Formats: sequence, structure tokens, C-alpha cells
Amino acid sequence: MPSKITTDLIDGIKEMVQTLATAHARSLAHLRYADLRIEVAEGKAATAENGASKFSGEDYGFSFGVRVLAGERMVAPGYFGRSLGAADLAELEKILKDGLKAAYRRAMANGELKATVREKFGSLGDSLMDTRLHPIAVRQEVVPAEYQIDPRNVGLAEMVSYTTDVSKQVAAVHAQLKYNFISTMTQLSRELFASSEGALIDQAFALTQGMCYVVAVADATSQELYDALGHQRGWEILEHGVNEPLIQFPTFIEFARGLAREAVDLANAPALPGTDGEVVVVTDPHYNTLVSHEIIGHPVELDRVLKMETAYAGRSWLLRNLDEHQVGRQVASPLVTAYSDPSLPGYGHYKYDHEGTPAKRVMHIEKGIFKGFMNSRQTAAIFGGDPNGHWKATDSSLVPLIRMSNTVFDRGDRDPREIIGEVEHGYYLVGHRIPSIAESRENFRISARKVYEIRSGQLGQLYRDGGIMADTRDYLMKVDAVGSDFRLYPIPNCGKGQPMQTKKLGNGGPTMRSRARLTGPVVGRLD
Amino acid sequence: MTITTAELAKAAGQAFEFLKQQPDIQEAEVFVSSNASLLTRINYTSHIPSNGVEEPKSAESYGIGIQAVFKTPQSATIGFGSEPSDLTLEGAKRALAKARQGAVRDPEFHSLPKPTGEPRTLAGYHDPKLLHVRDEELVEVGWKAVTGALRTFMASSRLADLAGSEAAIKRLGLIVGGDVTILQERVAIASTHMPGVQTDESTLIMGFLTAMVEAKDAKGSGWSTGTRLDHFTDEAGVDAATNAIHAIGGERVRSGDYTVIFGRQPVADLLNNLVLPACTASAFYSSSTPFLGKLGKPVASPILTVYDHGAMPGYMGSKGVTCEGLPTGRTDLIKNGVLAGCLTNWYEAERLLHDPKLTEKLGVEAAAARSALRPRNGFRFGVGGGRQFDCQPGASASNVVVEGAESVSPDELISRVRNGLYVGRIWYTYPINGLRAGDFTCTVVGDSFIIRDGKLVAPIKANTIRINDNVTRVLTHIAGITKEVKGTLVWAADEVVYAPEIAVTGVHMDEIAGFMEGLH
Repeated sequence: MPSKITTDLIDGIKEMVQTLATAHARSLAHLRYADLRIEVAEGKAATAENGASKFSGEDYGFSFGVRVLAGERMVAPGYFGRSLGAADLAELEKILKDGLKAAYRRAMANGELKATVREKFGSLGDSLMDTRLHPIAVRQEVVPAEYQIDPRNVGLAEMVSYTTDVSKQVAAVHAQLKYNFISTMTQLSRELFASSEGALIDQAFALTQGMCYVVAVADATSQELYDALGHQRGWEILEHGVNEPLIQFPTFIEFARGLAREAVDLANAPALPGTDGEVVVVTDPHYNTLVSHEIIGHPVELDRVLKMETAYAGRSWLLRNLDEHQVGRQVASPLVTAYSDPSLPGYGHYKYDHEGTPAKRVMHIEKGIFKGFMNSRQTAAIFGGDPNGHWKATDSSLVPLIRMSNTVFDRGDRDPREIIGEVEHGYYLVGHRIPSIAESRENFRISARKVYEIRSGQLGQLYRDGGIMADTRDYLMKVDAVGSDFRLYPIPNCGKGQPMQTKKLGNGGPTMRSRARLTGPVVGRLD
Repeated sequence: MTITTAELAKAAGQAFEFLKQQPDIQEAEVFVSSNASLLTRINYTSHIPSNGVEEPKSAESYGIGIQAVFKTPQSATIGFGSEPSDLTLEGAKRALAKARQGAVRDPEFHSLPKPTGEPRTLAGYHDPKLLHVRDEELVEVGWKAVTGALRTFMASSRLADLAGSEAAIKRLGLIVGGDVTILQERVAIASTHMPGVQTDESTLIMGFLTAMVEAKDAKGSGWSTGTRLDHFTDEAGVDAATNAIHAIGGERVRSGDYTVIFGRQPVADLLNNLVLPACTASAFYSSSTPFLGKLGKPVASPILTVYDHGAMPGYMGSKGVTCEGLPTGRTDLIKNGVLAGCLTNWYEAERLLHDPKLTEKLGVEAAAARSALRPRNGFRFGVGGGRQFDCQPGASASNVVVEGAESVSPDELISRVRNGLYVGRIWYTYPINGLRAGDFTCTVVGDSFIIRDGKLVAPIKANTIRINDNVTRVLTHIAGITKEVKGTLVWAADEVVYAPEIAVTGVHMDEIAGFMEGLH
């Protein structure tokens, strides 16, 4: 057993983990199913503020999680998770066994109490059922990571120098830039999944990200903007940018300097006046990235749809109960198609989810008609349909949730310049900023980085602090143009679950046109 | 995995002695911790197959974190490194190697934390039973909360009347969701300027439940907080179900400006997402707070006082010392409407005090600023709780207490408002145009009522209004504050807000989601 934690560790423990998940787990008397997930990551990070270095570090991550379904009178779930270190290597098999036993004890106690409550509460107990998983194809596969510059070979000192230089260059953009924070990270991770059904999946991922936060101040106005450049690739994406059909970024320095210039322009721009009624709005691919995330992606997560997030992230307006839902109904203009697709590149790319399901594209809206949800094996067993591979955790020690892969609005066939050019009077929203979405995702307010007035098909005045507010279905139904300029962007910080798991995933879309209320600051009401 | 505070203290002391012997180390800090978060996540649905207790689970970690200041020929560098699952000297050496490798020259670093002269006042406040919870007990507390709600639903004659019979109430779409969480935290810290090795041990148990009668769009919340296992009851489940039943028959309200009484959850939510971030030293440093340059000046109604108090006995967020080894205590943030202080750790306080733009950012000179920048909030909270060895201290609130100068009873406040709205639960409260602008938006999701002629006359239908307003306006238009405070939780927040109910005039509401009326 090696004494150092590297991603190569997975090769040495694979057989042992498989034996634990199969022969050992199956020896537990009332166990129906078990899986073990182990994750090892090797990463580096650097941060800088206002041109000065603040932190750098090179470290590993190592953790495991166990799920067990078991029970004598009823079948119920139990979980266990732990972070691990180099000192655990000598006793790793025992630690994993102990975790499996703890999860089994919890599942057994849970099953027993479920049966008791089911008996005691009459008709209210009827819905307490055995936990079942929808069958899937059981696979054994090794999936390699994709990169040009291996994250393990990037020098930490080089990262510090680069990150600090980006911060200095951002600070030099304009005297009104009062603050900037720059972070970079690059890592290689490897995830091993083994189940009592015989699955053994070894997936590796490279991930590199640069993040920029800037504050520009002009008199009493501050513009705080942040954005991330990221991809499941190596360090090359920061130095050289990304030039792929669906993902395009300049170098990180240009990216960060561009955001800084934007903050200065906005700090000196007037605030957008809100409207009481709807106006024509054209939204760019970056803005629609957040729209697709919030009003397409979240409400089609089947755990939320089946009320499992009622206390936290909320439910979905797309399903009242198993008999009353929007599947097969029109929920958007015929121009709107939306789907989630783990096979697309970027933050939302993977081949198998965290229960070993082969991931595949799931259509949510096809030409305006609602088609279906992202799911897991458990939720598929309840609602029906094949599992599509969207059960994902942020870390192996945490219990997976249904998460977006790459959830997007599909491209249309219109030239985005024509979409703007046809507008007599309206507004063009560029870049997403901050969202606030209603509990069942039936209404949204999302602010934009920049808003331009459109007059006679031409972009005019630039405004700050603007956005739109609309009811979800109404907004989608009013879409009357969809561009051909489809782009994917990374979302670095999607929060869901209890405890909260912050996850990286992908969203995107093309330029689109619809109608909505404009929102601006509340300044007119301040006294 | 049980690691005692004595073992943590021994590890911290041993590592610190080793660091002192290193010739290139100028200052050092060792933080050793062991954390467990045990959580039963609840999901019961009467109309959809469910597990009741969906996830009985835990996440555990322990290890050592080292921050060291290294002498170099040019100037000092500072680095941080950590090692999980190893409290031996070998673990400390690995953490130190990482700190040394990553050390950078930070011109704003002045020193590691130094004693502030304040004494530690809180020790021995945890419940030993919560440090040894068996797997079966973890599952049982979850089912206790579920059955509290189910018993309440079953006993409701109103539900039976609505459904036609007791046996048919399941068709009303009853939902019980939420969790019971037990946190176990143990830490030990040794630092160059601190007296010896300090330890701290804290536990807490909290339940947060949401119940719905979904066919009637009625939602209610219930929660309980505590520091002792034997104090945990089915209160959260009972309250959530009771409040859901009370919410049946909800009505829409029209867009407009209303006098609104914010209940405890909205008060906690507004503080968590807007007021506390605005009162954090780093927000002043980065010029991103709506209170920029306003220390010592009015920012709220004179009847409002907000303070953080990490050493309050019996309060859920209390700790003996911060994760920098400094005593916790009371920090006034807003006192009688005047901005009085900031949440900060040692580093943020020192760099702001040495900032040439201090007067522009805080509005006062360094001498006046020092008392407002006491580093009582340097915590290393991980996501989901716990004091994590593998991160550097940030600035987080602990127990936030909100008080009114002329406190009234809830009935008096409702009577005083006469016509308006009682908003008991809000959701997705964000500073929609950035923190400095203060604009915020959120939706009203449950526990809310119409006030007419000084009485609560009807529930407000969940998810039908959005609040669009500005936090600086809200703070200056407070019309009344109730006397009684209760520990209140917000999803994914570090702190507990001991919140009253607060009336605010002129709150702007927009009616939303009309299309939902004819959907199903």
C-alpha cells in the first residue's frame, strides 16, 4: 500500500473495494443493495487580491461514502461518509468495512421504524414503501481524463506568479477599480464506484478554473461583478483560452480585464428604470445560461419534483402529483427546446453518474411540449421511465442528489443580429448576474450584468443594475426568436441539499427574445 | 471514531513545540479539530411513495491545520497547510511541508492573532450525550419528528372534513420534509501569541421541518434548537403540521406597498443574506457594503439593535473561543439604529485598521475603528457545520440577537399595524443588484397572513407574491419590534438568529404566478 495519496492509489485498491461491495456486502443478512464511492483528487490553487498574492496550496482530497438498502420487515436506506488521509491507508479496508457496517445499521433501524410507523398510522402509513432502485445496465469501465497540461505538472510557484499578475493587470485597468480578487485552481480527480450488483467504474476528471471578482466605485455607486472561466481540461485553458465549437473563452487575463472594464463602464452608467408592464427583451447566451439553470434545470430535477426538497430548494410547478403533471403539455413556445446532456463538454460532462448509471441526454422541452425529468434510480422507480444518470454528489462522503449535467436551451436558426435588428423598442440583456426564483420555479427575477436599450434595431444607452422578472411559463410561451449562436458556460457554485452541496455544472443556450417586466433599483422609493 | 479534546490538545501541543524548534519559523498557529455531522433527512409524502426518513447519514473528519510565518531574506512569507486523519507528529510535519510550499508574501499580513485582553467566559457547555449518539438514536430522532407531524395531521378534524373521512386525508397531499441535525465539534488550538493550548467542545441538535397540505397550497414550518439530546422533542414536526393546517384557504393579495410584519424566519433570512454580510469587515475593505463610511452613523430605525454574541450560555451558536483562539463575546453591529461594529477575524481587522483608505471605508479614524473591529468571529466553519482543520479562519456570525427598544407583544404589534400583511417565511433572498446597492428580492412561501382591522384574518396563498425592496429602506422604516426572540435557522447559514417579529412600513409586493391558478 502506498504512503502518499495520489490518483494512482485507485489502481491499488480497486480489487479490494469491489470485493467489499460484492462478497462482503452480500454477506450481511438483510442487505438488498450496497455501493461504495471513493474519490481521490490532486489539486493546486492560488489567490491574489489587488495585485498581491494571498494564498497558494497544493494538496490532495480523499474521501469515501457508502449507501446501503436493507431491512427485515421493510427496506430502507442508510448512509455513511468520511474524509480520509494518508494515515488511513494502512487500515483502509477496515475503515471501509466499518463504514459499510454503520450504513447497514442505520438502514436496518430505519427499515424497522418505517414498518412500525406504517402499521401505526393507518392510511397515512400506506405511502411508506420499500426503497427500490430501477434496474440499470451494470458496467465495468475505466474513463480517462482529458487535458493537454497535466494539472499535476503545473508548478505552484508558476501559478502564484500568474495569478498575482492577473490581479495586477486587473487593478491597472482603471483607477475606479477599488478591489479585485483572483483565484485559479487546477486538479485531477479520480472516482471509483463499486456496487453489490457488480458495477466497477473508474472515472478520471481534469478541472481548471479561473475566477475574477471586481468592485468598481464611482461616487455612491459600486459595481460588484464576478465570473468564472472553467472547463474539464488542464492548465492550458487559462493561458490560451478555449476555442471549441460550444465553449469559447479568451485567455484568463483578457477575461478578467474585460470584466474589470465592464464594471467601470457600469459604475458610470445610469440605473435601469423598471417597468410595470412587459417589454420586448433580447437575452444573450451568457444571460440564458442562468435562465436555463434556474427555470429549466432546477424544476426538472425529479427529487425536487417528487417533493423531496420541499423544506430546502423547493418543489416544481411541473408536477402536482403522480396523476397531475405537465408531461405531454405545452409549457413553452414551439421555438423552445431544452435538454440536459452529460455527453456535451464542459463542467456538466461525465459518462456515469454516482450510482453507475450510464448518463444520457434527457429531453425536457421539445418544440414547446414538456417531455421529462432528470432522475436517479430511486426516483425513476417511483415515477417511471429509464434512469438517465443525474445522481451526483459534490464529494464522495456526501449523499448524491439529482443534479444538472449540461442543461441548456437548444440552438435555433436565427442570426442574433437579426433578432436585435427587428426590435423597434426593447432591451438587450447581456451576461447573468444574480437570481431569485420562486419556490416551485414558477416565477423568476434575474439581474443582468449589462442592459442596453434597443431603438429601431440599434443598441443604445447602457444601464446598470437591471434585469427582468416574469412568470416562468408565460415567459417561455412568449419566446418568438431563438438564435443560432449556442454557447455553453460553467456554473461554478450551484447549491442544493442538506447539508448544502456546492456543485460545478454546465448550462447554456443561444440568444433568445421574449417579453418580461424590467427590474431596476429601488432608488426611486428611498427617502 | 471518538477523539477526545485531551487527544486534540496533546496533538496541538506536540505540533506547536515542533514548530517552535524550526529556525525559519517566526510565528505559528496549530488548529486541530474533530467534527461529525449526523443528519437524518426527512421526506414523507402521503400521495407519493416515500421513505419517511430518507437519509440517516453522517460525515466525519479530523486532522491538523498549520499556519506559519516563515523568515526569508526579503521579508516574511505566510503559508497554510493541513493533513487529514493524522494527529501524530508525522501529520504535523506533512501539514507544515504544505504550508512551507505554499507560503506567499502578503503585504497586508501583520501578525498572527494576539490576546485582546478580553477573558474567556464560556466553558463546559456541551451535552456529553450528543457526543455519543448511536446509529439507532440518529434514526429515531428523525422518526420522532415525522410522527409528530403525522399525529397532528391524523388528529385534525379540519383535514378529515376537507377530505370527507379520516381515511381519505392522504389524498390531500400531505408532505413532511426537513431534517434533524446533530453537530459534534471538538477543537484545540496553540498559537505563538496565545497562552498555552486551548480547547473547545460544542454540540447542538436542531430540527427544521416543513409540512404541507399540498392540495390546498398550504405550507407551515416548525423548528427546534437545543444543545441537549434529552431536550429534543417532536415539537418541530407538530408545529410544522399545525401551521400547514392553519394555512389552508390562502388568499392572493394585490401588488402594492404594505405595512408588513416580518416573522422570525424572514428576519433571520434578511439578516443572513443582507445585513450580516453588510456588517462584515471584508465588505468594508472591498467597498461593497451599503454601510460604506457609516460607522457611528444612523443606518436603521433608532428602535433597532442587532448584536452577535458567541458566548451566550445555552444559545445554540455559542463557542468558548474562536478558531483563532480568541474569546468569543458580544459585538454590537447596530445599536439603537447606529452602525456600531463589524464581524471580523484577526487578519481582516488588522488589515482594515492599517488601510490608508480606512476613514473613507469606515467613516472614522483608526482609534475609533479599533473598538468596532474586535476579532470575536474568526471561525473555520465548513459547509454543513463543523470547525474544519483544513481551512483558514473566515469571519462568521455565531448567535445574532435582534432587539427592539420599545418591545411589544405580537398581538399589540398586529393591532398597531391594523391593515397589512404578516409574512412568516420567505425564500431566495438575494441582493439582486449587488450588496452595496441594497436592493433585494424574495418570494413569500408560507406561514403568512393578511392583517385587517388589527387581526390576522386569512392566510396568504403560498408562492403568490414577490417582495422587491431595498434593505437600507427597510431598516429605516421599522414601525415596531416584538419582545420575545426565538432561535431561528436559515438553510445553509452558519449562524443562529435569535429573532423577534419586526413591522416595516411601505414594503413593496408584486403579485406573481397567476398562471398557476388554472394549471392542474
